[in-house]
Amino acid sequence: MQDAVLAMLAKEPTHGYDLRARLRQILGPLGESMNPGQIYVTLARLERAGLVVCERADGLPERPERKVYALTPAGQQRVAAWLAEVGWPKPDLAEFHLKLAAAAAARLADPVQLVAAQRRELLRRLREAQQAALAEPAGSGAGLLLEGVALRLQADLRWLDACERAWSKADDEVEGG
Amino acid sequence: MGSIVLVVRLVLADVRRHKVQAAMLLLAVTVATTTLALGLSLRGVSDALYEQTRAATAGPDVVALSGDTGPAVTSALASLADDPEVIAHHGPYRIVYADLTTRDSTSSPVVVHGFAETPGAVNRPLVTSGQWVRSGGTVLERGFATALGVGVGDRVTIADRSYPVVGIAVTAATSIYPWAAQIGPGGGPSDYSGLAWMTRSDARALASSQDLPVTMALDVELRDPAATDAFLDAHRGPALRVNFHAWQFTAEQDMVILKNSQPILVVGSWLLSFLAITGVAALAAGRAVEQTRRAGLLKTVGATPGLIATVLLTEYLALALAGDALGLVIARLTVPAIASPTASRIGDAAGLGGATVATATVLAVAVAVLSTLRPTLRAIRTATVTALTATAHQPRHRPWLTALSSLLPTPLLLGLRLTARQPGRAVLQACSTATTVIAIIALLTLYAQPERGYGLDGSSALPNLRGEHDRRLMLAVTILLIALAVVNTITLTWTTAIEARANMAIARTLGATPGQISAGLSTAQLLPGLAGAIIGVPLGIVMYWIFSVGNTIPPPMSRMLGAALATVLATAALTALPARLAARRSVAQSLSAETA
Amino acid sequence: MNVSGAAVRACGLVKTHGQGQSRVRAVDEVDLEVPQGQMLAVMGPSGCGKSTLLHLLGGLERPTDGEVWVAGRRIDTLSERALARMRRRSVGFVFQAFHLVEELSAAENVELPALLAGRSRRQARRRASLLLERVGLADRARHLPSQLSGGQRQRVAVARALVNDPLVVLADEPTGNLDTAATLDVLRIFEELRSAGQTFVIVTHDERVAATADRLVSMRYGMFVDDTRLAGSHPRGLGGLIGLEG
Repeated sequence: MQDAVLAMLAKEPTHGYDLRARLRQILGPLGESMNPGQIYVTLARLERAGLVVCERADGLPERPERKVYALTPAGQQRVAAWLAEVGWPKPDLAEFHLKLAAAAAARLADPVQLVAAQRRELLRRLREAQQAALAEPAGSGAGLLLEGVALRLQADLRWLDACERAWSKADDEVEGG
Repeated sequence: MGSIVLVVRLVLADVRRHKVQAAMLLLAVTVATTTLALGLSLRGVSDALYEQTRAATAGPDVVALSGDTGPAVTSALASLADDPEVIAHHGPYRIVYADLTTRDSTSSPVVVHGFAETPGAVNRPLVTSGQWVRSGGTVLERGFATALGVGVGDRVTIADRSYPVVGIAVTAATSIYPWAAQIGPGGGPSDYSGLAWMTRSDARALASSQDLPVTMALDVELRDPAATDAFLDAHRGPALRVNFHAWQFTAEQDMVILKNSQPILVVGSWLLSFLAITGVAALAAGRAVEQTRRAGLLKTVGATPGLIATVLLTEYLALALAGDALGLVIARLTVPAIASPTASRIGDAAGLGGATVATATVLAVAVAVLSTLRPTLRAIRTATVTALTATAHQPRHRPWLTALSSLLPTPLLLGLRLTARQPGRAVLQACSTATTVIAIIALLTLYAQPERGYGLDGSSALPNLRGEHDRRLMLAVTILLIALAVVNTITLTWTTAIEARANMAIARTLGATPGQISAGLSTAQLLPGLAGAIIGVPLGIVMYWIFSVGNTIPPPMSRMLGAALATVLATAALTALPARLAARRSVAQSLSAETA
Repeated sequence: MNVSGAAVRACGLVKTHGQGQSRVRAVDEVDLEVPQGQMLAVMGPSGCGKSTLLHLLGGLERPTDGEVWVAGRRIDTLSERALARMRRRSVGFVFQAFHLVEELSAAENVELPALLAGRSRRQARRRASLLLERVGLADRARHLPSQLSGGQRQRVAVARALVNDPLVVLADEPTGNLDTAATLDVLRIFEELRSAGQTFVIVTHDERVAATADRLVSMRYGMFVDDTRLAGSHPRGLGGLIGLEG
């Protein structure tokens, strides 16, 4: 979030209000849940870190509180570094995998049941993403993001299917043995 | 060498997989070549039989007939024997014109030849059963005896006198039954007559007892049997009213009985070939996709277009040639019966002539090539990848079909829209039906012609053998044509049903009933069938008219329309079964087969 | 008589394929009730019997045992003819392979069920052009299926399924042959119809298609192993789907 805000300031210094509007436009319905104050909290952090400077705008008399934020040289360096970065969020599957293994080992719960519950949860999320995607006009940027969300969820669901198959088989072997 | 093995292996595998189609091609070609070979070899066989009879009976080279009696005539005839060209002669002998009645009252004109009890050097009739003439007994010519149903030991009445039949014989001096009277009384026209022999004295007694008309005849043998024309020219003159019958003339006269048989068989074989081509083309078209796909497969593993064409054509050619061989064998076995409808000749039919064999083979090859040329070319030309993914056929929008179907009631409309995928096939069906109707109309016309029986005064107590022979042949050809047309119709409906299977399954999911589906399929076949039947009626009449002489009497209109209607109804019935079967197939199965 | 308000109902449904040793229970004791207006998705690996179930519900196959009710009428005992009539009125099919009649134009394909149902030619034509417009293909009405893209073909098939206002649309892997964009086009049409109260049974192995449904049942070896209501369950902010925090 911080990096994205910085990058948006790279074009030209701008108001916090503008930044929020642009973020909402890019994120579409996904940005709706964003706290209105969140952008200012982020900007304040960046200012403290010396990455942006805040200038009071010449402003209009009736909107005296408006501030314009601009990148510092350090901020510009950080943006360049961010763009060059190829890091990618790691899918955190290990936790769920360990959960299943632990539940099975300690006979705390049926792993297959856990998978089913998880599956239902992911399906509901997928439904939300899918319906939001269908509501977007074709070719919108937000649609593209929703597409990505849906595909990630789909991949997770397929992995859950694999988990279910594996743990059902493990059950069968236990029962059979 | 390797490629020959490959071709043979591929062809054998294909024939094994498509037994029914292979059998049908074989059958169709066999029927067509048999008929053609028969038609073409009639004359040769007739000539051969005459030749053999002539050799066995010391047939005369020329028969001189006076048409008159009296010592002047007799001596004039006898003087012919003095010609230096004549190396042997028989006669002069009496020919008496009489009536013959059997014990079951069948009557026929008969000519009685008065012969010596020991035959001479020329014209020695060959006794095939019983013995030669003796006083008081008569010998009947075999063709005549067979027509009368008379055998050795029976009694016949000739000019009110009863004679025992002591023998049955054949001769080459006269034409076959019923043209035994070479000339009529007084040199006038003759009736259909049989031939009987008696001793000279019996013949004289017969003639004088009732004052029957008599002709004097002399048989001569020439030094050069081929020089009959020269002999005739030398002796034909105003001085003597003598009719000369050279052996060539008699042989030609034998062909009269076959005059219609030849066109019936030859034209019949054309029609049969045509049906064979339509049927085999329908089959080949039905397999075109598979063939194209196979060609693509062969190309991907490196086969040249030439090899592919060889594989495709070899199969059909091999089957067609097998059918040809079979047809020629059948023709060889049946030709004596067909070329000799009377029992007046003896001997075996010689083998089929080279020209006949060649023509029949050309026909067989033409059937194979014509019916498979298109799919073969397509298989070769289609690009490899396209071929591998070949679908039933490239769909084409036919707005005219939609427009046409809009005029019909809904079930027919749907049937047409769903099943009429290939107008080419409709044309095949129309041709097939038209051919059948042509044959049926020709048959009806043949049956409608009046004819004179061979009995006394044209009585049909002795049936007209020639007419009977014609009708029997025509009936056989028509039955063969109908059989092929039936097979064609079933093939066409079945191919249509298979091609339309996906569409029909789709229509079923949309709520079409099995009844609507089978009605639609039948309609797709029936409409061209109807068109074919309508075209067939006038074509049939024209066909008969072209090949017949004299006045043709058309059969009653009601009968012709009835025949056309019956053909259409039969088509409907024939298409109903495959259509019904196709409509019963499970929808889910058809759909998954389509996707697979 | 439609007591329960169920558009489609099945009780103790069994379908076996094959004989003897190779006998397979494609559908094994399935009970199902699809209320009117519900979009039900059936998921499962290939060969789990989901397509067979769909065929049984649409009367394309007959069950070995059990009952199928469509629009309050038992259909597994009907004759082929009566089944065909039932399909005309109550069922619209959409298939993975589209199954359009290749020789007929898009409009003629859509007209087909209307004509089968005995509508006049003019009515059928009007209805077809209306539906083609609704699926966004008004300008493709005279095209042959082979001249259309996969997505367009499937939209023609959807229009065709709807032409007789069926009680239920049965869709068998409707997006199985489509790319992502075309899938979204079809799903958008489905979503529109769903909000208008159209009942659906969709068989799919695509989670994204299944997720558009109100309810999802999972099938394994011919049996239902899970039945989840997706609609109306504690809606959360979409922002929760992505990590926007700090």
